[in-house]
Amino acid sequence: MNRLWSILAAAVAVGFGLITLFGLLLFPNPVTNALLQIAAITIAVSVLIGILNLYSVHLRRLFTRGRGSGYSLVMLLAAGLVIYLWLSGQDEANMTLLETVQVALESALAGLVLFALVYGAYRYMRRGVTWSGILFTVVLLIMLIGVLPGSGTIGQIRAWLLAVPVSAGERGILLGIALATVVTGVRVLIGQDRNYRE
Amino acid sequence: MDNSTRVITLIFLTITLAALAILTQFARRKRSAFPLRPLPGYSAIPLMIGESIEAARPLHLSFGGAGVGGEATALAMACAEMVLQVARRTAIGIETPIVSGSDPTFLPLAYGTLYRAYQSRQHVDRVSATAVRWYPSLQRTGGLAFAAALTGTAGAERVSGNILFGSYGAEMALLLDAGSRGQRRSVAGSDQLIGQAVAFGMATTPIIGEEMFVAGAYLGDDAGTLASAVTIDVLRWLVIGGMVTAIGYVIATRLFGGG
Repeated sequence: MNRLWSILAAAVAVGFGLITLFGLLLFPNPVTNALLQIAAITIAVSVLIGILNLYSVHLRRLFTRGRGSGYSLVMLLAAGLVIYLWLSGQDEANMTLLETVQVALESALAGLVLFALVYGAYRYMRRGVTWSGILFTVVLLIMLIGVLPGSGTIGQIRAWLLAVPVSAGERGILLGIALATVVTGVRVLIGQDRNYRE
Repeated sequence: MDNSTRVITLIFLTITLAALAILTQFARRKRSAFPLRPLPGYSAIPLMIGESIEAARPLHLSFGGAGVGGEATALAMACAEMVLQVARRTAIGIETPIVSGSDPTFLPLAYGTLYRAYQSRQHVDRVSATAVRWYPSLQRTGGLAFAAALTGTAGAERVSGNILFGSYGAEMALLLDAGSRGQRRSVAGSDQLIGQAVAFGMATTPIIGEEMFVAGAYLGDDAGTLASAVTIDVLRWLVIGGMVTAIGYVIATRLFGGG
């Protein structure tokens, strides 16, 4: 029976995938648009699944009195308050909560990221004297000195580094990811992905 | 989409399809025909799984911001493959891995993958509904709330290590920093350049770019996943060949005044 379901799932995924691909690439048609709309609705439903997941995780932690259950209680109260405000139509209060609490907290975290990054760079240089470590340190110094006014040649070296090797490296990494994305997509389209075979 | 883009896309898809079909058949007949170059990230993962089982502490795997239905769909599929491979091995231990993400569309995929992994080991009863966790985050501030929630989870659940595949930005620094302070190993990679740079500098073992997509080939024994790893290499060499040809053509036309 499981095998039958797998075959059915593969047939549905491959069929709809090919219809959408051909619709987007060769023959734009209403069926493709309808399929894309169904996908959008499915994504919206997944938010509901997410909220249920959030509640189940934190309620469980609260009832089992696991580590961090205090945080779970705060999370549940905050989520309950937001839902109450939404149900009672107090959108302005909801937005105020978002702007004054959530955004402020995340901005503070953004400040912490800086320290984490500096500490990470420090740890990287402490790993020992390696060629990559030396290169990292030299490039870091050039980048930092290069932004200073009147840095002259070092500023030019910095501009060249950003325009040529950094740009080339960026494109190399992105091209690699793009190629792998194409291969993964084709595997799904031909039903070779493991999700449809097991 | 203009016509030339359509043609190029179709040619590329056809080449990929042909390469996958042919290489899968070869890989089925003789797996040793395609030796894989060693990748430190994938060599570290079995060790992390061993540590997790011995210490009876869960491993933490994360999709980051990757989910189904958007640009990162293929990446989410690659993350799911990683979850499958890791969960199959950890299924012999007591603790189920914790799988997290900030895009809600990863939830069904992660649940399904975890379920299949434990089903293949006849331990479905161990898959808890809370093993997969969604930590929402605001788009405009990056995944900072997600990263903050994960640092808390890692401490509260006493995770043994972090495997971070998916879509991350600078917020990955918070996760990796917390991990290193807690003496937890980490394998990390991202499809975003900033996240990739952070992973390279701060993860115990980084995974770079397309390496995230070949977990099945390195950790599993399936011919299809091996063929996809080889196909990525074939396509890469085709792109390199195309670039070298284009550069040669430009140099030749400048030198000899053609065109």
